[in-house]
Amino acid sequence: MANVKKNKAKTKVIEEKEVSVNIDEIISDYAESLPYSIKKDLAKKLKSININKSEIINIVKKVKERYEIHRVDPYESVGIVAAQSIGEPGTQMTMRTFHYAGVAEMNVTLGLPRLIEIVDARRTPSTPMMTIYLKKEVSSDINKVKKVAKNIETTLLSDVTNIYTDLEQIEIRIIPQMELMKSLDLDVMDLKKTMMDNGGPIMKHLKYNSDENYLYISFLSIEGKEGNVITESPYASLKNLLDTITNLSVKGLEGVKRAIIKEVSGEYVIYTEGSNLKGVLGVEGVDTSRTYTNNIMEIYEIFGIEAARESIVNEIKKTLDEQALAVDIRHIMLVADIMTNNGDVRAIGRHGISGKKTSILARAAFEITGNHLLKAGVTGEVDNLNGVAENIIVGQPITHGTGAVHLVYKTDKKRSEQKENLKK
Amino acid sequence: MKIYTRFEEARIIGARALQLAFGAPPLTKIENEIVDPLVIAEIEFERDVLPITVKRVMHGV
Repeated sequence: MANVKKNKAKTKVIEEKEVSVNIDEIISDYAESLPYSIKKDLAKKLKSININKSEIINIVKKVKERYEIHRVDPYESVGIVAAQSIGEPGTQMTMRTFHYAGVAEMNVTLGLPRLIEIVDARRTPSTPMMTIYLKKEVSSDINKVKKVAKNIETTLLSDVTNIYTDLEQIEIRIIPQMELMKSLDLDVMDLKKTMMDNGGPIMKHLKYNSDENYLYISFLSIEGKEGNVITESPYASLKNLLDTITNLSVKGLEGVKRAIIKEVSGEYVIYTEGSNLKGVLGVEGVDTSRTYTNNIMEIYEIFGIEAARESIVNEIKKTLDEQALAVDIRHIMLVADIMTNNGDVRAIGRHGISGKKTSILARAAFEITGNHLLKAGVTGEVDNLNGVAENIIVGQPITHGTGAVHLVYKTDKKRSEQKENLKK
Repeated sequence: MKIYTRFEEARIIGARALQLAFGAPPLTKIENEIVDPLVIAEIEFERDVLPITVKRVMHGV
């Protein structure tokens, strides 16, 4: 009895192995033309179920058939449909809340303002945010994670020191708070070095008092000496210097105001307020393949246009999902495609797509008609009437839907040939 | 597999219906009760007797 059972189990394993080898082949044989992502999903789903080969072939065929039925026909007005499909749920959004406490006690722009921000292709979003995943050996150990977070979060000089001004002596005194410094792995010499590197020429007068452990710049002693860099009165330059010194960053990445550690499905993840993707990718322990920012332009600059397109889709989808609005992803993908198809991220609207159309009549139809027409007349622009707006203006059928179809007469003999051609 | 898109189909049937409305004789046997040119054109299209087809061009290229 036990033997039979064992045998059965064995044959099952072999069968499964055979099937999993075949599935990719079957898909490429019967549904080569499907997009990569659908093929991948299909293979994954098929591998998880136990059915025989002919059934798999039928499923693959059916999937291909359904995919082809669901494709839009050529000259379908997909842009208008996409605009309406995103616009209508958009009206629901304005009625709801503008801001909303997001992940980890951070305030993240959501809803309509965020959507506008994305399609405007702003340089920086109003609430830039990063989600930093960490490498396996780091992400489970809270102490290591804390260390990484400290390397990311900006620490200002004024955060770890007390800065005093002595007006009698005209002197700035920087007294380090040793406990805070220790927790950040900093010592006084580190401070001195960062100040010398980033504080401007006056920093060469920075001195260290080793008896009482503090840094100071004495303006009275500089004045009249060789190598004097002060052009204003000592008092005024002291005030200026104080401003630069307090905002000097001694540790962490520029632009990252706050880092919060949160546990997400068994690993620690760092969320940050402010974004500096380039810097974060260089920090040790960061998993560069999963780390994410909501700043699309930053992604574009670092990873290129395809990544930017993907992140536009993700961000719009995320914004709509948070408001529980169901919009088909293909509409969003169309928007992202239009925004990115010439190689850089263009905004939708006056400064982007609509304002930079090649057809003068289409541009005139969009905004400031008089100016556009006048300018086109002066410069002798030519309009080839290729688009929709131009043809509506001149009263011709538009190249959409049935308007784009050209009928021709075919004799019987030619008809059968034509049919063969159209089938291809 | 379908050879025509829905726009092409509509355009072909529409053009043929116009001809029928102007008095053109049907190209296939049509029952006497059917008088609507649009319906006749549809039947003709389905039976594949129309000498009309489409020329696919790239617009705006």
